[in-house]
Amino acid sequence: MRRITIAAAAVALLLAAACESKSPSEDAGAGGPSAASGDPIVVGSTLSLSGAFAATGAIHKIAGELYVERLNAAGGLLGRPVQWVVRDDESDQAKVSTLYEQLITQDKVDLIIGPYATPNILSAMAVAARHKYTMPQHTAVIAPLLTYECQFPSWSIGPTPNEFVPNQLFEATASLPTPPKRIAILTNQNGSTDFVSYGSKDNKTGAVSITKQKGLDLVLEVRYPPTTTDWAPIAARVRDAKPDLVINNGLGVDPVNLLQAMAQLNYKPPMMFSLFPAPGPPLGLGATSDGLLSVSIFEPNKATLDKLGGDATTIVNDFKTRATAAKLPYTVFETQAAASWNAWEILASGVKGAGNTDQTAMCEALHSKGADTTFSGHLTFDPAQNNFWPTTQTIKQIQNGDWVTVWPADRAAAQLRGPTP
Amino acid sequence: MTTIQAALSGILLGGLYALMAAGVSVTWGVLRIINLAHFGMILLGAYLTFELATAWRVNPLVTLVVSVPVMFVLGGALQWAFDYLRISELNSLLITFGLLIVVVQSVSNVWSADFQRMAAEVNPYATESVRLGRFVFPVPTLLAFAIAVLVIFGAHLVLRRTFIGRALRAYAEDRPIAAAFGIDHRKIGVLLAAVTGATAAVAGMLFSLGNSLIPATAFEWFGTVFAVVILGGIGHLTGTLAAGVLVGLLSSVVSVVLSPATAPFVLFSAIILALILRPQGLFTTAGAHR
Repeated sequence: MRRITIAAAAVALLLAAACESKSPSEDAGAGGPSAASGDPIVVGSTLSLSGAFAATGAIHKIAGELYVERLNAAGGLLGRPVQWVVRDDESDQAKVSTLYEQLITQDKVDLIIGPYATPNILSAMAVAARHKYTMPQHTAVIAPLLTYECQFPSWSIGPTPNEFVPNQLFEATASLPTPPKRIAILTNQNGSTDFVSYGSKDNKTGAVSITKQKGLDLVLEVRYPPTTTDWAPIAARVRDAKPDLVINNGLGVDPVNLLQAMAQLNYKPPMMFSLFPAPGPPLGLGATSDGLLSVSIFEPNKATLDKLGGDATTIVNDFKTRATAAKLPYTVFETQAAASWNAWEILASGVKGAGNTDQTAMCEALHSKGADTTFSGHLTFDPAQNNFWPTTQTIKQIQNGDWVTVWPADRAAAQLRGPTP
Repeated sequence: MTTIQAALSGILLGGLYALMAAGVSVTWGVLRIINLAHFGMILLGAYLTFELATAWRVNPLVTLVVSVPVMFVLGGALQWAFDYLRISELNSLLITFGLLIVVVQSVSNVWSADFQRMAAEVNPYATESVRLGRFVFPVPTLLAFAIAVLVIFGAHLVLRRTFIGRALRAYAEDRPIAAAFGIDHRKIGVLLAAVTGATAAVAGMLFSLGNSLIPATAFEWFGTVFAVVILGGIGHLTGTLAAGVLVGLLSSVVSVVLSPATAPFVLFSAIILALILRPQGLFTTAGAHR
């Protein structure tokens, strides 16, 4: 009897856990047919709807659903409605491979689109390459790793992000009346961030070497593991190194933890840059985070939206409404959502360019004709650069409690601010 | 100067580790339950603090008025269920791990998997510190350390000086004999687990004062907290506090003197060494219990 009771409890536990994961059918068919008619064109993908990447996965899900809905309302693709089958990969790259394999071989989806997060994208890309599927992908920017000729990035930092990011930052800060001279570089040893400081196998250039090349004084260099929870020692070292600019090639809430730990030491660096922060949490720090710099491919600043026109504003507002309903803590349509939107527009451009859903034809069409996007303009894909298009990435800064684009000057919505006296 | 500052911060952070570890240590040592769900309760405590402080615009410390009773009941109910189902020590590891996953996923569903943190207006402690000469003491970890010392020494005294404490220790040593002397292990077990649930609420609140929250945070605590439990001696409360301080201190000093990337390597190498040389824990003699 006791064994039965325990077994029942175990089953209940498993059922409870299973109930938390959405089944494929629940997520299928987001944005059903309306103006379009005929058999749907089925797009298959996974997203991290649970697990470590779920926070950002939710942004891509909302952006994708909104895109498909608008696409269908506008007549779909090739006159047919589009149906999106999205499965939860649970932030597990091993599951990504299996699920893409199933989507292609068993579900026989017409098209695929990439998952979220670089490790997952690399897993999906291997399956796409094996079946010769064209795969637009949202956020993998380490160009040298993305060698499949029919993967199309929707966020590009060019072929060498490890050179572009530090150079753009130094170019921006050089425009200040008193450019920073003493630099501290704090690097998260995550694969998406470490290479921006130290380069990769074939190209060792990065923020560290560029700082030295430019004759700047590298006063502190710290590498920390992604699992770091104790920020006080790093904060103490930064304070004592007295840098003019802290470059934090980190992600998530690293800059929040660092700024907070430094504030606890009654210290705030004159300027600080963070590579891939979660956009919402730094804003919650109030004055502590004011002036923080980061990178962006899109910020819905009024000046930018005015330039892009009405459609962009509608998308941004619709996204906000849905993100609010989904209780996302940060509901702004910015880099991640824009990258997602770009990926869907690349997919649609491929189909339209080919005139059908033949994978090879789509891949060739994208190489020859490129893709039109709402937020990044017309994109061109050069296989010699692993399809990484000339970057449109900008630098943003927290000013008066909001992220605003500040560099380059021709795309800025506000002027870059130097250290507050 | 930098090293001393980091060492002080590390010692204070060790208080938080100790408070997190105390519940795991005492349920393992006394009730023979390896309660991984305790991490889930700390997580729930942290999110309750975030939710209540944000929604009610109250001081995060005040949220303990709600979270402590909730976690007290939850901790007691769990122990009642374990006892009713006669869960063995090994099975408790598997079952509580399952419970932890359920809690983490539930937290994701309710609060999303995105980073959550209390805004500066409701949580002034996040960036505050106390200055003593050239050294500063961050308020969140200072509070954590002070509360950890109070809770752990308070619990230690209860275990040493009260009938319930003696009953619990007797129960941990020899269950049948303790029962023969009229000790109702079910009642005192539920009470002990309820109290550890309450400490989880306190630890969660203290964690949320100085950190952003994501559901997966619960898994990040595993390594450090288990290190503290093992080094302190399973079920040994004051040892847990000493081990927490040692782990915090070692981790911080290595981060400054060598690098943060080296800290986990040094810390866990030291733990392996300690386990080989003193498997009973660093702060207890062989054969001694609590």
